[in-house]
Amino acid sequence: MTINGVPREADVWPGESLLFALRERLGLPGSKNACEQGECGSCSILMDGTLVCACLVLAAQADGHDLVTVEGLGENGSLHPVQEAFVEAGAVQCGFCTPGLVVAVADLLRRDPTPSDDAIREALSGNLCRCTGYAKIFDAVRIAATRA
Amino acid sequence: MADAPQRARGEAQYTADVLLPGMLHAALLRSPHAYARVKKIDVRRALEAPGVHAAVGPEDVEALTDEPGFFGAPVAAIAANTVEQARAALELIDVEWEPLEPLLDPDEAVRRGQLTDEPRRNERGDFERALADADVVVEGEYRTQVVLHNPLETHQSVCRWEGDTLEIYTSTQYIWGIRSRVAKQLGVEPDNVRVVCNYMGGGFGAKNDPGEYTYVAAELARRTGRPVKCALTRREENLAAGNRNATIQRLTVGARSDGTITALGGEFVNAVGWDGWIAPTDGPMQTLYHCENVRTVTYGAKINTAPMKAFRAPGYVEGTFGLECLLDELAARLDVDPLELRRKNYAHSSNERPYSSKNLMECYRRAEPHWERRHELRTRSDSTWKYGAGLASQIWYGGGGPPSYAWTRVGSDGRITVITAMQDIGTGTRTAMAQIAAEELGVPLDRVRVELGDSARGPFASISAGSSTTPSMGPAVRAAAADAKRQIIEIAAQRHHLEERVLDISDGNVVSADGNLSSPLEEIVGLLENAQILGKGARGPNPTGMQVLTFGVQVAEVAVDVETGEVRVLRVAAIHDVGRVINPLGASSQVEGGIIQGIGHTLSEQRLLDPATGTVLTQSLDAYRLPTIADVPEIVCELIDKPDEHLTNLGSKGLGEPPIVPIAAAIANAIRDATGADIHSLPITREEMLRALEAAKQKQRGAPAAV
Amino acid sequence: MELRQPSSAEEAVGLLGNGHVALAGGTEIVPLLRDGLLRADALIDIRRAVPRGIHGTTIGAGTTLAELEVDPGIPVVLREACRLAASPQLRAMGSIGGNLLQATRCWYWRLDFPCYLHGGDRCHAKDGRHDEHAIFGNDVCASAHPSDVAAALLALGTMLRTTARELPLAELYRLPTTDDPQTTTLADDELILELEVPIPEASVYLKAMDRQRWSFPIVGVAAARTAGEVRLGLAGVAPVPWTLTSVDDLDRATPLPGTAYKLPIARALVARALRAVATG
Repeated sequence: MTINGVPREADVWPGESLLFALRERLGLPGSKNACEQGECGSCSILMDGTLVCACLVLAAQADGHDLVTVEGLGENGSLHPVQEAFVEAGAVQCGFCTPGLVVAVADLLRRDPTPSDDAIREALSGNLCRCTGYAKIFDAVRIAATRA
Repeated sequence: MADAPQRARGEAQYTADVLLPGMLHAALLRSPHAYARVKKIDVRRALEAPGVHAAVGPEDVEALTDEPGFFGAPVAAIAANTVEQARAALELIDVEWEPLEPLLDPDEAVRRGQLTDEPRRNERGDFERALADADVVVEGEYRTQVVLHNPLETHQSVCRWEGDTLEIYTSTQYIWGIRSRVAKQLGVEPDNVRVVCNYMGGGFGAKNDPGEYTYVAAELARRTGRPVKCALTRREENLAAGNRNATIQRLTVGARSDGTITALGGEFVNAVGWDGWIAPTDGPMQTLYHCENVRTVTYGAKINTAPMKAFRAPGYVEGTFGLECLLDELAARLDVDPLELRRKNYAHSSNERPYSSKNLMECYRRAEPHWERRHELRTRSDSTWKYGAGLASQIWYGGGGPPSYAWTRVGSDGRITVITAMQDIGTGTRTAMAQIAAEELGVPLDRVRVELGDSARGPFASISAGSSTTPSMGPAVRAAAADAKRQIIEIAAQRHHLEERVLDISDGNVVSADGNLSSPLEEIVGLLENAQILGKGARGPNPTGMQVLTFGVQVAEVAVDVETGEVRVLRVAAIHDVGRVINPLGASSQVEGGIIQGIGHTLSEQRLLDPATGTVLTQSLDAYRLPTIADVPEIVCELIDKPDEHLTNLGSKGLGEPPIVPIAAAIANAIRDATGADIHSLPITREEMLRALEAAKQKQRGAPAAV
Repeated sequence: MELRQPSSAEEAVGLLGNGHVALAGGTEIVPLLRDGLLRADALIDIRRAVPRGIHGTTIGAGTTLAELEVDPGIPVVLREACRLAASPQLRAMGSIGGNLLQATRCWYWRLDFPCYLHGGDRCHAKDGRHDEHAIFGNDVCASAHPSDVAAALLALGTMLRTTARELPLAELYRLPTTDDPQTTTLADDELILELEVPIPEASVYLKAMDRQRWSFPIVGVAAARTAGEVRLGLAGVAPVPWTLTSVDDLDRATPLPGTAYKLPIARALVARALRAVATG
C-alpha cells in the first residue's frame, strides 16, 4: 500500500485493523484510537480519496490502496492550511479528536471549497469532540475555506 | 494555542501513544455481576496462554476486588505481548462467582440506611415557619440521570520500573496527586515515583486519581521487569471510569406574593454508587439566592453501580437544574418575569462570608437584550413548532488556591522558559501560562516556552480540577516572571549605572523611564554569558475570610415539535463573571465546550442499566449519545472581564466549569416558555418531552375544575 | 482467521458458508467480530465479487450509501434515508447490501445476553429496558430493525436479485420465532447482487432520532407514491423493516410500556409523509 505518498509494507495478522497497523507497526500514531467501533471518527483517514474510519478497515484489506493520514497532510513539516486554520481559530483543546477532524475537513474542502454551515454540520457529524463544543471548528473550516 | 500545531499535526504524544521497548499490554477481568463474591479464582490456565507473562488478582493489587460491588468492577488482570493476547487470556481465568442481590434503587438505599456517608444537613433560619407564613408554595420533584465523562482518550497508564524508581506515563489531571497516592499505596518514597503527562486527551473530573489501571500496570511491570501499558477500552471507560451520579431532588420554595423568596427546602438523594463522595447538589439552594430560611438534607445512596467521580461542577449542575426550574415554576405561579424574580432575590452579601467579588447583577443586565428576544421568538410558533426562551443563573467555585510553584528560566539568548510540573488537560494551560509570563516580563509571546508535564522536571503544581488551573498556577507563574524581571533589571542597573526603579522591560527591551536606554533583553542577559537567570514563584493564599466564587446567567432559545417531542436548542447566550480573562479565545472555547457538554446532559446522554442485573446497557458511543457538530446552536459568549481585586496578583478565576452549570435549567425553562410543559427529568428525551406535553394538556383540561 | 478476496460472485459463493463470512464495507462485520458476536474462520471480502454502481433503476449491492445519496437519479426517499443513516465515514464505507443485512442495535443482543436471537429462551428487553425497541411484531423478540435504507426500499417496492433467486425486499425478512431466530431468509452462501428500484412519482423519508445527525432511528417513516398508490415503510419499529398497508395499521400496534411514546411519533411522521407525497 501507499501511505502519504510512500510505498509501505507491514506484516499483519488477518483480523488486525488498519488503525492498529498504522499506529503500532508503521510509526504513524497521529490517527487516534478512541472507540474501536467507527463511532467517533478519531481515526479518520483517506483511503483512495474516501474518508473512512481506519479502525473498521482490516489492515489486509488496505493492501494495494492509497492512504493519507494526518501525518501526510502538511508538506515538508509545514502545516496544512486546515491545520493552520484549526490553530488560528482555537479549534483545538485536548486535541485527541483533532487529527481525525483535520482529515475530515480537508476532505470536505476538497469536495466543497466553500461549504455552508449546514454542509459543515453534515460533513463533520461523524467526528466527536468532547472539549471544544465545535463552535471554533466552524470558524476553522471557514478560515481554511478562504485560503484553499 | 501554544501547542496546538503539535496536536493538529498528530505529533503530540499522549499516553495512548507511548510505546516503550519491550512494553507489555494489560487487560482487566471485570465483574459480570453488579454484586457478587469471588469464591475462587485461578489464573493458572491463563498464564499458559500464548504471549502471557503475568497475572494478578485481588490478593496482589488492592484496586482489584473479590467482592465486586458494581458491574464492571475490576477483579483480575493479565499482561501479555499484545492486548489481544491479554484479552483472550482473560477468558481462561477460572472464577467461581457467588452472585448477590444488587440494590439499584437509590430511594430504597436511603430507606434501608445504606449510605456512603452520614447525611449532610444544612439549616439556617426557621424553614417550617417561613413556609407556613408564605403566600405561595411550590413543590417539585426533579430527577437527573447518570452521565459519563467520555474523554476521547480513555483512562490509561504505562508503568516502568527503573531500579526502585517507578515511572508512570498517565493520562491525568493531577500529576502530583498520582505521585503521592501511588507512593503511599506501594509503600515507596514519593521521590521514587516519577509521573509524566505531556498531553492528555480530556478528563472533565474523571482523571484526578490513579485508578486501577495504574496500580495494575505498576504491579505487572514489577513482576515482569517490563514496561506495562494498561488502557481502558471505550466500553470499559463507560463502565468503571467514573460518572456524574443520578439525583432525585424533592424541592420546596415559599414566597411572598411580591416574589420575595422566604423559604427554600430540599431533600437530595445522590445515587453515589458503590463508592464515592456526596457532591453538593444542595449547594445552589444554599448559596444562589438571598433567603433567610433554608433547610437541606443530602443523602449519599450506596448502590450497586459504578462509583461516581467529579464531573465538571459536580453537584451544582444537578442542583441548579432542580432549583432554577423550581424558580421558573414559582415565577409562572406568581406571574412574575423570571429575570425579575432572580433580581428581586439577589444575594448582595453572602450569609456567611463576603464575596471577594460578585458581578452577577451586571451579568443580568447584559442578559437583558438576549432575554428581550423571546417576544419576537414566540411569534414564530405554529401548530407544530413552538418557540420559547428560558434563563438560569450560575454560582460555582473557581478561585483555586495554594500551593503551586513555578520557575522561569531566562537564557542568555533572552528566551524564556516557564517550568512547572503541572498538566495541560487540553484547556489551553500552556498558552495561558505563556501569556502571563510574557506580560509580566514585558516580552513578546513567541519568546516564551512552557515546559510541564513531568514531576521530575519541575516544581509542585496544583490539580487541574475545580476550574482551578489558571487561578492556582497563574499567580505562581506571574510571581516567577516578576522574580526573573527583578534580577534582569538589577543587572541592567549595574551595567548602565542607573537606579533600578527607573528601569522596566517592554516589548523585549530593557528601557529607562527617560527613554535614553533601550537595550534588547538578550544583550543585558548576554552579559552573563552562559549563566541563566532563574525566577521562582509561589501561589499566595486566597483572601482571608472571603468566598471566591464565579457567577453567570445563560439564556437559551428552543424550538419544540409538539407532535414528535423533538427539542432543538437554537441559541444560547452565556454571560459569566470569572474575574480577569487571560486568553479570550481559549475562554470562549471553554464556554462553548461547557454548553455543548451541557446540551448532551440535557437532551441526549444517559447511562442505562438493566433493572434486574445492573448491567450497563449503554457502553458504546452509538448507544451513549454525545452531541455532534450537528447539535450545536448559535452560542454568544460574554465575559465580565473585571479582575477580582481581592484575589491574588492576577485577579482571575477559573472558567472550566461555570458554563455547564445553568444550561439544563435554561433549556427546560425555555421549553416551558414555548409549550407550557414542566420538565422534571433529564435527559429530555422524546419520551420525557411527550410525557410533559401530555401532563400539561391534562393540567389545562383540569384547570377550570381546580379554580 | 484468513481473508479471501474472490473476484466473482460464483467464486465468492463457493467460499461462503461453513464459518466463512462475507465482508463488504466492514462497518457492521468488523465490530461484531471484535465483540465476539460473530465468529468467522475466514472472511470473504466480496467487494470485487458483487456489482457496484447505479445503472438506471438497477443498483449494485456493493454501492455505498454515500454514492447513492448524491445521485440525482435515485428517488428522494432513498437518498434521504442514506444521508440520515449514519456518519459520513460509515456511509462512505457501508454498502447498500450490507445495510439491509445489519443486525439490531438492541443492547441486550449487542451485549450477548442469551436472548431468543442468540438462541436463548427469552427477550431480556421486554422485562428490562426497551426504550428503543419495537411497537410492532414484538411477540417474541422486541428488538427494532435499524435500517433507514430498508424502510425506503420497502416503500419503493424494491426487488432483489441474489446469487440464488429474485424476490421482493419484504421477503428478505422474517420475524424471529421461538425456534428460529433468523431475521432474514438469506442463506449462508447466498449474496445479494442487485436491487431493482422503481422510480416513484413522489417520495419522502422522515426520521425521528436522539441527535440531529448520526443516530439510529427512533422511528423512520418512508413513503413513496408509485402509479398513484402510496406505500409506507417504517424503520425502528419492529424486529424487521415494517410495511404499513394503511394508516389504520397504526391502531394495531403492540407497544411495550417503554416504547409507547413511539406511537404518537409514528402517527405524526406518517401523517406528514402522506401529506408530502400526496402533493409532491
